[in-house]
Amino acid sequence: MRPLLESAREKLRRRKVVAVMSGKGGVGKSVVAALAALAKPGSALVDLDLEGASAPRLFGLSGRLHEISKEGIEPLEVGGVKVFSLGGIVGDRYVVLPGYGQAGAVEALLAFAKLGDSDPVVVDMPPGMGEELLALSRITDFLPVLVTTPSKASYGVVKHLAEYLAEIGKKPAAVVLNMAYVDCGGSRIYPFGRGEDARRLAESFGAPLYELPIDPSLEDYVGRIHEYRGPIAYVVRQMVEGL
Amino acid sequence: MHEWSLALSLVQTLDRWALENGVQIKRVVLSVPSPAQLDVSILTEAFDTLKRESRLEQAKLEVRVRSPRYRCRACGYEFGQEEVDQQIRQLMGQYGEEYPLHLIPELLPTFVKCPRCGSHDIEAELSIKVDEVETI
Ligand SMILES: Nc1ncnc2c1ncn2[C@@H]1O[C@H](COP(=O)(O)OP(=O)(O)OP(=O)(O)O)[C@@H](O)[C@H]1O
Ligand SMILES: [Mg+2]
Ligand SMILES: [Zn+2]
Repeated sequence: MRPLLESAREKLRRRKVVAVMSGKGGVGKSVVAALAALAKPGSALVDLDLEGASAPRLFGLSGRLHEISKEGIEPLEVGGVKVFSLGGIVGDRYVVLPGYGQAGAVEALLAFAKLGDSDPVVVDMPPGMGEELLALSRITDFLPVLVTTPSKASYGVVKHLAEYLAEIGKKPAAVVLNMAYVDCGGSRIYPFGRGEDARRLAESFGAPLYELPIDPSLEDYVGRIHEYRGPIAYVVRQMVEGL
Repeated sequence: MHEWSLALSLVQTLDRWALENGVQIKRVVLSVPSPAQLDVSILTEAFDTLKRESRLEQAKLEVRVRSPRYRCRACGYEFGQEEVDQQIRQLMGQYGEEYPLHLIPELLPTFVKCPRCGSHDIEAELSIKVDEVETI
């Protein structure tokens, strides 16, 4: 028996787990996950990008370590969100792990995270379809939120992810088309096309599609994402309310 | 403190299991890899405190600290715990109380290198597991 795997399962059993994923890297998963957690008071954000650890960077928590109490990993709290990240365990250094190490880290993080009454639990997934995805699937029945950009390169990967998820009996709870348009004085310009592929994909799974604009000001909020009130946050809030 | 978190996870998991199976637990053997550097007396004390008013009330915890065998996937070298100990001691000195392998021993490849070729691509059985449960 693996007590940590069992604890992780039990801990998430009665909570809504929203997993923000893509397959593709750099499409905005971490931004969407952070804003999704911020959109709902009482959320937790679990960063399962073990090697990337974006959540601490977005919230300005880099280098801060989790306190470990008798009850487990104490969250880092920002903007009403309980943040948990491997970055808060190993500190400011690189992480390199074979598959079994990634699985162990995912299980332990979730088993020990002091979630309190946090609900939903938003999970920021790494790019790719590797061990973290398999490990999360062993632990909980998550709601997938798929993030893509209008680029064909991104769409192709996300489509494969959606097909895989369908095979294991999950359908996307939402599809997010990030960096879809630029707002130019009230009119929308779609520099990469209208994202018809993503729209069809969402439709084929009966999932709602949310378009996020390119917002150059977002960069200024890296390190204090909890203060961002721009259009991306607005749409992500709608998405969260629809879940 | 890590010992308490682990004991809590263990007691809660086994209590639930015992309830589902309609049994009481008499003895538990927990196997932990030595690089986790868990303090067996604290772990036992935590277990004995947390087991009260559960189906583990009468249970005795036995902790087996096992020395893993390691294999480097880059060069194929196989080695034992004694060839890793120096790196573990250094890591403990560096992190102190916050030593990450207490909580997640599977993180070992991030911190430990193959003694022959220096690769982090190291294979070992590092999980924390329940080896035996005796019930009444
Ligand atoms: N809509 C947007 N407008 C402007 N910048 C954006 C937008 N979405 C994401 N970005 C920026 O793009 C970069 C990548 O975003 P993010 O880290 O969220 O992607 P990711 O999918 O999580 O990446 P990874 O695969 O590495 O985890 C970040 O610098 C982020 O600030
Ligand atoms: Mg990310
Ligand atoms: Zn080697």
